[in-house]
Amino acid sequence: MTESVPLTWEEVARVYGRKIYNFAYRLTGNSDDAADLVQEVLLRVRKGLASYQPGSFEGWLWRITRNAFLDDVRRRNRRPTAPLPEEVDRWDLASSPAADIEYARISIGDDVQKALLELPFEFREAVVLCDIVGLSYEEIARAVAVPVGTVRSRIHRGRKLLRESLT
Amino acid sequence: MTHAGELISAYLDGELGRAEIDQLLDHLNGCGRCAAELQEMQRVRSAVRSLPLLELPPGLIPEADAEVIPLHRNKGFLVGAAAAVVALVIAVAAIITPSATPVSLEELNSRYAARASLDPAFGPAKVVVPYLADFLE
Repeated sequence: MTESVPLTWEEVARVYGRKIYNFAYRLTGNSDDAADLVQEVLLRVRKGLASYQPGSFEGWLWRITRNAFLDDVRRRNRRPTAPLPEEVDRWDLASSPAADIEYARISIGDDVQKALLELPFEFREAVVLCDIVGLSYEEIARAVAVPVGTVRSRIHRGRKLLRESLT
Repeated sequence: MTHAGELISAYLDGELGRAEIDQLLDHLNGCGRCAAELQEMQRVRSAVRSLPLLELPPGLIPEADAEVIPLHRNKGFLVGAAAAVVALVIAVAAIITPSATPVSLEELNSRYAARASLDPAFGPAKVVVPYLADFLE
């Protein structure tokens, strides 16, 4: 399989920024956290590209993304202040016509998003990487550092739990 | 096989080899429970996949929004350098060209320095430095 590897972090930002944002948004349900993650990942990509060995770029990128996400979760958990409720975000979002459209887009999947957030992290992560980001099982295995069989099992168990929440 | 289990999701995701697909389809023919589960998993899978793909908040990655930044920056550098050269030539010409009313070099220098200190846009060095710094970054 030939793979064209983006050479600059600007290209990575252009090609993958939106995917990284959606990955983080679907994992957290929070637009600010998702935006922070995009910036943190791009920072790490910028530092890491110099030493990047051609191989599975997707695996490399999503491993960085996942690690940044987990570091962020750990940092937030140590913080004593309670996070702002998501409603606050939505007031901000709904303040302009363009934001209204974006808010409507978010609302469309509200029940699915809620069900995703109820999943244990490992299952949620596997489902999001598969169905939102569009990675193959092999790429997910590389990003998460588990065998492909584990990915297969997590995705299926995740979907079964989603089915229970959604019915 | 007892029941199809995770083969169902892997099948929907196109992650099964020929042999496993045949094995699964054989099983589904005789197992209503797994056939129903396949349909439900398909429904869940497409519900997640049809979540809207959200736009990046504007300005989150400004460098990526403007595709031609390096080009602009290089051009900016060249234009800046060209302007600097022109300004330098004029300044040098003014200094070395004998004029009708003789002005000392010291006087010219101090006039030039006085204006350069008052007007940040005046003087070739002021034009070159920011672009050059940008370029060498």
